[in-house]
Amino acid sequence: MRGSYAEGTQPLCRGPSGWLEELGLAWLTLVSCLGLYLRILGGRDHLDVPAFAAALRQTGLSVLPATTLVALALGLILASQAESVFEDLDLPRLPVLAIGVKVVLELVPILVGILVAGRAGVALAVRQAGLTVSGEMDGLIVSGIDPVRFTLGPVLLAMLLMSFALTVWIGLTTCGALATWLWARVGVPPALFVEALQQSVDLADLFEGLAKPLIFAVAIALIASVCGLAAGRDPDGLGRAATRTVIGAVTAILLTDLVFVLLR
Amino acid sequence: MDAAVEIEGVFQHVAGRCALDGVTLGVARGEWLLLIGPNGAGKTLLTRLILGLDAPSAGTVRVLGRTLSGLGAGAMGRWRGEVGAVLQGGSLLAGLTVLDNLLLPLRGTGATRAEMARAARLAVTQLQLEGLEGERPRGLSLGQRRRVELARALIHRPSLLVWDGLTEGLGPAGVRETLDLLRQQHANRGLTLIATDNRPAELLASGARVAVLDRGRLLFDGSPAALEQAAAGRLELRYVLAGHP
Repeated sequence: MRGSYAEGTQPLCRGPSGWLEELGLAWLTLVSCLGLYLRILGGRDHLDVPAFAAALRQTGLSVLPATTLVALALGLILASQAESVFEDLDLPRLPVLAIGVKVVLELVPILVGILVAGRAGVALAVRQAGLTVSGEMDGLIVSGIDPVRFTLGPVLLAMLLMSFALTVWIGLTTCGALATWLWARVGVPPALFVEALQQSVDLADLFEGLAKPLIFAVAIALIASVCGLAAGRDPDGLGRAATRTVIGAVTAILLTDLVFVLLR
Repeated sequence: MDAAVEIEGVFQHVAGRCALDGVTLGVARGEWLLLIGPNGAGKTLLTRLILGLDAPSAGTVRVLGRTLSGLGAGAMGRWRGEVGAVLQGGSLLAGLTVLDNLLLPLRGTGATRAEMARAARLAVTQLQLEGLEGERPRGLSLGQRRRVELARALIHRPSLLVWDGLTEGLGPAGVRETLDLLRQQHANRGLTLIATDNRPAELLASGARVAVLDRGRLLFDGSPAALEQAAAGRLELRYVLAGHP
């Protein structure tokens, strides 16, 4: 966004023209952010390390207890459902386990996306809106500084890294809880669980499961950034930006996941 | 006239209201313009257009030879290097120290560490900010914050300074000292100044050309002496000159 004219310090229009403006703003923001990364890679700029460290803490470490709890709960819920299926229907164990693993693989990126949107997405939107309300955004612009360098640039990078790490962590924790419960309560041996994993998950599934959180992270960051920028200079805009970010990000995550499902 | 700023037929609508109503105004290079008017006159909106922070609803704004709406990102970045701004309400970054705030306009300009240190030392001395370099803006008084903003606006030696709210946070002595500093900059390198305020009595003696804005319309544009003459016969000018908020 460096140097662009009238960089979003006025609230955008409502309705379809407003959405178009927001799409345009999202595109400009993404281009500006990619430009920053290219400049950093080329040694012509540097990453704002304190902002990046704060974003890593906010996106990853601060949500780690909650995500672990969610992963354990998900694993135990699925295990409990599988247990009742084994008891009531007398089905073969391998296909049921395979379905369980597929469900985990589908749900984990969505859960990570929702948690990241609720924590880091909202924080980014409120920061952007706060900078606008306080006049700091104007201060950056008139000083010739690209605001992306202080806001979206470090946060998006942190979101990408942490979404990936959280997906791996939640996936392993959920599968661990699921396998442990079934082993302890139903006597399903871990080897059978591993076999179900091998048979139901191929390389493409694994790639998709790991790529989706990254795509969700980009969508969350752009939605948060645009909602923050479009909030205007009105202090009420902070709350509006946070609410719009959560609703927009969750909708985008589910729709993107649907696209993945339909394209299979 | 070698123009620093050319504003032609500018309209600005805010929340469905016409906040600037066909304003046409020019400022020559090296000239000082004092833009006065009561609160809500449209002074801040006009300065935001001059600084490229907002785009006008209609009309054109040319600053330092460039039409802002037609500038690409790179050209806009170079253009910003020629303009300094002190914004109403403050625009210092709360998370940065005074020194880091001061150095913002020099980041990415290719200035070496030694050049940046030299520029910072000069700005700190000129604006009497010694001892405040490591402070955060939140810990400063309003007057100190305004001086830091002015130092930041001047550190990259701009040819145009736009100062919204000239007397905000500065007492009469502070205004005098600041105007003296700006006069030096004007004498040394022909700094163009556009300043806004709604308390004209303290400032009309500065010798700047005066433009009077009220409810988005330009009521007067001329010398302070001509303004006094015109005000004798025009109630709305007398109202503005009386310093009504």
